[in-house]
Amino acid sequence: MEIDPNFIKGMTIAVGALGPALGVGMIGASAVKSVGRNPEAQSKIMTTALVMAGLVDAVLAFVLVIVFTTS
Amino acid sequence: MQHGARLMIDNFAATTGVPLSSEPVFNIFGLIVTNSMFTGVIVGFLVLWLFTLAARHTAVRPVNKFSFAIESFVGIVLDIVEQNFGDRKKALKFLPLLLTLFTFILFSNLVGLIPGVGTFNVTTDDGVSPLLRPFTSDLNGTLALAVLTIGTVQVAAIRERGFKKHILHYFMNNPLNPMNLFIGLIEIMGEFIRILTLSMRLFGVIYAGEVLLHVIGDLAGNLGPIATLPVYVLEIFFSFIQAYVFMLLSTVYLAMATSHDDESHPSDDHLPELTPLTSTGGGAKV
Repeated sequence: MEIDPNFIKGMTIAVGALGPALGVGMIGASAVKSVGRNPEAQSKIMTTALVMAGLVDAVLAFVLVIVFTTS
Repeated sequence: MQHGARLMIDNFAATTGVPLSSEPVFNIFGLIVTNSMFTGVIVGFLVLWLFTLAARHTAVRPVNKFSFAIESFVGIVLDIVEQNFGDRKKALKFLPLLLTLFTFILFSNLVGLIPGVGTFNVTTDDGVSPLLRPFTSDLNGTLALAVLTIGTVQVAAIRERGFKKHILHYFMNNPLNPMNLFIGLIEIMGEFIRILTLSMRLFGVIYAGEVLLHVIGDLAGNLGPIATLPVYVLEIFFSFIQAYVFMLLSTVYLAMATSHDDESHPSDDHLPELTPLTSTGGGAKV
């Protein structure tokens, strides 16, 4: 049985996007929770959360690079 | 139906446009200049020009809006750096490098979104290649930035502690203990992994963004201008975030390398001071 390479590409994106999606979701949930607990620190929490989201999103970028550059 | 489904998947995986490596555009006296190098030099001069212009109109009581905006921006970056160093003198010492990294990476990221970058082509001996390509969408460029940053970290650490102490601090001052030897080797490997992650993060995000714009444009067909608009906004957001993350990580590495309290327990130093509840009331005591 031969697997279509495009199917593998699609699966790579699907599986590779799962981790960063969960990660960003957790960051967002924690940030919202922290702001609810301490609304005065909102600007600080938001900056940290955005930086963390940037770090996590890099994983998805690796996946996209690998998928789009292999043929 | 089978054929139709297959066609769509083919279209989805189409990679038109952005190749992984940058291509040579022209050469000056035997030095081959690639399109990302060319764009990097242009962006460098642009940033230099903007800051020179702002510095020329700086005044104690600002009258020029542009120079005031640049001053505020520098102030924000200085605040971030100072927060991480915990020392204004040290922050001012490293501010030029960190500010340059931030502005240069930011402008390099944003320049890829300007129409015309990546669409003007030149014909060389090797074929047709785009004239301009963002500096940060080339792995050579981001690797150079990362090596520069980690090199500065190493030099600053050696200046602060001395060469022997700096090497020994990887091994927790006792390299003869096999456990410490193992930890030290992993720590030294970690320095190289820092170079890799710094460069791959920036390159990955910016390059993937370029390719994503192409793919979404291909997928949407005639509705391309509308469909790429959200991706465009996302890319502007990521440009800022990635420039900020690069600068912040450089700051953290520098602060870690130049701090003296490695031997003492760092958790003791950062305990927040307990303030009496009465002080949270009115502030004015005059």
